[in-house]
Formats: sequence, C-alpha cells, structure tokens
Amino acid sequence: MPRSKPDTVTAVLARGRLGIPSVVFFVIAAAAPLTVIAGGATTGYAVTGVTGIPVSYLVVAAVLAMFAVGYVAMSRRIVNAGAFYTYVTHGLGRPAGVAAAMVALLAYNAMQIGLYGGFGAVLAQFLQSRYGWDTTWWLCALAAWAVVAVLGLLRIDLNGKVLAVMLVAECAVALVFDAVMLGHPASGTVAFDTLAPSHIFAAGIGAALVTAITGFVGFEGTVVFSEETKDPRRTVPRATYIAVVLTGLLYGLSAWAMSVATGPDSIVDAARADGTDLIFNLVSPHLGTSVVTIGRILFITSLFAALLSFHHTVARYLFALGRERVLPAALGRTSRRTGAPKIGSIIQSVVAVVVLVGYAAANADPIVHLFFWVTVTGGLGVLVLMTVTSAAVVSFFARIRHGEGPWRAVVAPLIATIALTAILLVTLDEFDTLLGVHPHSPLRWLFPAAYAIVALIGATWALILRAAKPDVYNAIGLGPESATASLRSPTTVRQPA
Amino acid sequence: MPAHNEPAPPRRPVRAIGTAAAVSPRIADEFFYMAHDDQTGRPRLFDTALASGLAAALLVELYYERRITFEHGKVEVLQRLPPKDWLQHLVLDQLIAQPQHTDTRTWLAFLATTAYEQVATRMWQVGLLQQQQIGRLWRQRTVYVPTDINTAAWSWARLSQQVRNYRQLDHFDIALAGLTLHTQLDTALLDGAPYSAHAHLRQLVNQSWLPLRDLLADLSSVIGAGVLSHRTS
Repeated sequence: MPRSKPDTVTAVLARGRLGIPSVVFFVIAAAAPLTVIAGGATTGYAVTGVTGIPVSYLVVAAVLAMFAVGYVAMSRRIVNAGAFYTYVTHGLGRPAGVAAAMVALLAYNAMQIGLYGGFGAVLAQFLQSRYGWDTTWWLCALAAWAVVAVLGLLRIDLNGKVLAVMLVAECAVALVFDAVMLGHPASGTVAFDTLAPSHIFAAGIGAALVTAITGFVGFEGTVVFSEETKDPRRTVPRATYIAVVLTGLLYGLSAWAMSVATGPDSIVDAARADGTDLIFNLVSPHLGTSVVTIGRILFITSLFAALLSFHHTVARYLFALGRERVLPAALGRTSRRTGAPKIGSIIQSVVAVVVLVGYAAANADPIVHLFFWVTVTGGLGVLVLMTVTSAAVVSFFARIRHGEGPWRAVVAPLIATIALTAILLVTLDEFDTLLGVHPHSPLRWLFPAAYAIVALIGATWALILRAAKPDVYNAIGLGPESATASLRSPTTVRQPA
Repeated sequence: MPAHNEPAPPRRPVRAIGTAAAVSPRIADEFFYMAHDDQTGRPRLFDTALASGLAAALLVELYYERRITFEHGKVEVLQRLPPKDWLQHLVLDQLIAQPQHTDTRTWLAFLATTAYEQVATRMWQVGLLQQQQIGRLWRQRTVYVPTDINTAAWSWARLSQQVRNYRQLDHFDIALAGLTLHTQLDTALLDGAPYSAHAHLRQLVNQSWLPLRDLLADLSSVIGAGVLSHRTS
C-alpha cells in the first residue's frame, strides 16, 4: 500500500536487519560443515560399516527441504518461533509441547556434549603430530569447556563476519579436498557406487540416515531470526532452503569423494583405520602441507563454533522455559550486566563437565563413545522433534484459517512427516548398527529410551501444571511473550509478516 | 506486614511545589539514574534492557501526562495537546505522525534506538548529567556522569528503602518499580533483601493500573525476545 508520508518507524527498524547471506552464515556455521565432513561422515563409515553415507546426505537434504516448506510457513504465524516445542504446542497441544521441550533439551545437550569428544580428540592429535605435545583428549576438551562456559556467561557468540570468513574457508577447503580426491581415484576410474539409490533399501541405511540428519542439526535455527530479517516473508524461507541444499550437496559430494579416493569397497576399512584423519590422509600426498594444516585447523575451529552455538541453544531453551515458568522462574532471569541467560548457561556447563569427567574416568574412546554415540543420539532426538513438528504443522494448518496453498499447508508437511517417520522407525530398528554394538546389547535401547522417559516426564508435568497452575499451563509455548499472557488472551497466532 | 497508614517520607529535594516543569522529576530521567552507577555513570544493565527500559519510561511519561494509554499491546493516543517537555513533545509527535504503527512492541523497539541519547541530552541540558571524555586517544568516547551523587542516588535509595520496609508507593515510584522489575534491575535494588521484599515489589507492580501493566508486559517480552535472538555483532 503506497503511503504519501515516509514510514520512519519501519525505516529505522529496518536498519541493521539481516539479509539472506547473514542468516545462511549463522545457521550453516552452527552446523559446522568441516566437522560433519571430516568427523561425522568418516566416523559414520567406520562405526556403522554402511557405504551408503553419501546418498544418505542427499536423501536427508531432500526430506529436510520438504520439512522446511511447512515449517517456515508456520513460523511466520506463531510467537517464539525459534523453538520446536512451540510448533508442537500449537499443533498437537500443550502436553505434547512440554514433552517436545524436554526431548529438545536432552537432544541439544547431547549434540553439544558429544562434540567435546570430537574437539578434544582432534585437538590433542593435532598438538601431538604438529608440536609433539603430549596431552590427553579430555584435557583439550576441558580447556574448550572452560572457554565455552565463560563465553556463555558473557553472552559472546561468534561474530557474523568471523563466521562468514570461517564458513567460506571451510567450504573452499572441502571443495579443494574433494577435487583432489576425485582427481586421484583408487582404481583409476571414478566410481559412483556409494551414490546408488539402491543403498536406501539396503541393510543399515537407518544408521546412515540418522548420521546424515545429525550433520544438518542447526539449520532449523533460521526461524529464530525471523523478526530480525529485512523481509521475513522471503528471507527466512530462502535462507533455509539455501542452507539445506548447500550443506546437503557439500556433505554428499565430500562423503562420495572420500569413497572414490579409497575405492568404494575399502572406504569402511580405511575409515576404521584412520578415523577423523581419513580425509587429511587421503589428500596429503597430493597437496602442500600448509593446505592440509589449514584444513586441520579449520576442522578444530568449526568444532569449536558448533560447541559454542549448541551451548547458547541450550541456555536459551532453558531461558524460554523459565520465562514461561514451565521450569523454575529463576531460569528466566538474565545476568544484569551481560544479559546472558545465566542459570541456563551454568546448568549446561555443569552437565557437560560431569559427562566429560565421567568419560575421562571411564577411559572411554572420545571419538566413538562420546563424539559419535552421543551426537547421533542427539541427532535421533532432533529427528524425533522434526517428525513431531512436521505432524504439528499439518495439524496446525488444518485447524486455522489461512491463505497458504495446499502445497505448503498439507502436501509438503505430510510427505515430510511420512518420510521422517519412516527414517525414525528404520533408525530405531537399526540402532545397534548405528552404535556398532551387538544386536542384543542393552545400549541400543538405552539411548532411545532416554527420550521416551523425558517425553513422558514432560507430558506428565504439563498435566500437573494444568491442574495446579492453569495460568502457567496457558502460557506454554509463548517463551518470553508469556509475560503478556495474564493480561490479554495472547496472540499465539499472529498475522503473517 | 506493610504499614499502609504511615506518612509518606519526604519527597526528593530537587522538587519544590510550584516550581517550573524543568526541575520536576521525570520518570525517564530517574530511571536513567537508577540504571547507572551514581558515581561513575557506568550502566548497571545490559544494552537491550537499558534502551528498552528508557523507551518504556518515555511512554510512561506520556501516559502520566494523559496523552496516551496502552491496551492489548497497542498504544492509543488520547490527546494531541503537546506536553511542555520537549522530549515528551517529540515522542508524542512521532506517535501521531505514524498512526499505522500501533503495536507497543514496535514503538518500544523504535524508541529504544534513540532513547538513551535523548534522555541523556535532556538531563544534560538541565544540569543533571555532565559529559566526560574517557578512554585513550584512539578509543575516546563521551560518557554521561551524574553531576550530583545525592540527586543521582536518591531514587535508588528511596525505592530500595520503601520496598524493603513494605511501604506503599506513590504513582511516580510505582512506574519506577515496574521498570526496575521488568528490566530485572530489581536483583541489584533488593540485593540481600529477604524473599518477601521481592514478593512485595512484584505485588505492588501487579496491582498497579492496567495500562501500565500492559506496557510493562510488552517491555518484558521485548527484552526476553532480545535475549533469545541475541548475536554478537
């Protein structure tokens, strides 16, 4: 609608708003591409013994793009759109919402804490091979932990420009490595075996798919920025699709390139022998030492960026739940000077250090038992969340009056729900393959059961709140907006921006 | 228990009945003082909370001047007659000039971009603050420091004492109490006080006028949303 007078308010508030590139940088940097390529994909090959990892990344990217269609459409209509449990609350009811919140807390904590294993092991190895320093993985992990704990309390995350530089460098290094690996195939010819769609129906694919999902965790964060983008209607959807497609292609390409360089038949053995060093060992005969060293350093920095990002995610989840008073109100307070969600940040750090000390004391393997097991368990939790959220999107649009076409409101979310449910069921069925344990090992049930237990606790807590504190119950899912709930019937559904 | 019937303590000394408007205390000025250290002028709050709190304080001034009110998250202009104070006048003009924006949250966000400089300038003009250059050559910047520590500390001390002694507050102090509570400055204000003092503060604010509470709820959600979407720029 054209107006004769200039709209100063809109103009002033538009200053410093984010465009598509900034949002893409923020979320891909949280997903940490080199961590996924050098750490996730290689360990995925090694632990699961499945060769279909590359095609899994592509399949998962397609499913998540489908999921994103309904997800971003709904994000414009709800408050506190940054958190999965808000969608579940609006789509499937408050008990389901609190259950989802508990699952999310466990899943993001698992992602973050698992990454310490990767960081510690990779940094210790780097210091050993380059400077001859003898350290242990847990010493490096604890050093990272201390830095993350302090930055969390100071509310410092990585600056947008730093993230952009790191991200571009990571992608460049990954592409150079891919080109080198594809230029030196094991058998002399480039083999496409690991990209064959037939892998999707092969044994162990569930393990490969959830490994792939784990690599994408973080992309859902685009909607957090919806109120701070220049044009929420376009910026957030496009940034989300770009993030999913770019990372999907990069992961798929890199995982495939590794299998070409080793030969599709020996990728699993090579990954088991070399671990997270695989990609660097494959390219180092053909590249200068400095390029490989830069790659290793970027691998470490990308792990750190992901650690810090997931730490903030957990602290903010706790803050939002504290504001709603679903969790103790003290969690909803911030540090006066820095504005950090102080108590949430401290809780996350304490949980992390307890787990780290436990792993160090038990002398467990940091890569397999901490990095891979715990992050894929986090990935499983996020898979559960995305499946439920997708169903919530369908239910939400079925119940409100809206102007979205059937593709965004019904078809895409429904396809995503079915696909995600299928992945979830196959994953649960093959969790022993994923962990690389005996089919009768209790561990295969222990990790998934943790989510069932916290979800049950969450739903029960919601029902207790309904009986004991109806005002708190009514504000579930509103996050900081819950402050307005007692005064007005809050606008849980808002007009799309 | 609250001693409702005790006589109110003497008002702040700068205010004399019948003096010109320029020296009568203004809520944003007093909140500015409360949100900064009375000696060094260092902020006691993080940026978002300080800027949003000052923006809310400016809106409260207009509410107390009966120019605007707040209902269901919207600002409504009641009377277009300009207030005497230039800053109140300016803010009211902005509200009138942009009638297409009615959400309180939008106005809080908009005013927060300029509130700090505007309030500091207004206080500097009447001698409540003085400018000081600090920092080395290459990082020099201007900060505002209170000219008189006693004036600066008065609101803080008064509010703290009143709440700790479970007294009722006048309408001016209720607004300050609300801003303090919703910017989370109350932890410092009532540092070391028993839990019941915190509860008393919350009760005082929760029993105040509906429009004021409506504004404060939006202030709270603006600050909360700022915490959730924060990134280091």
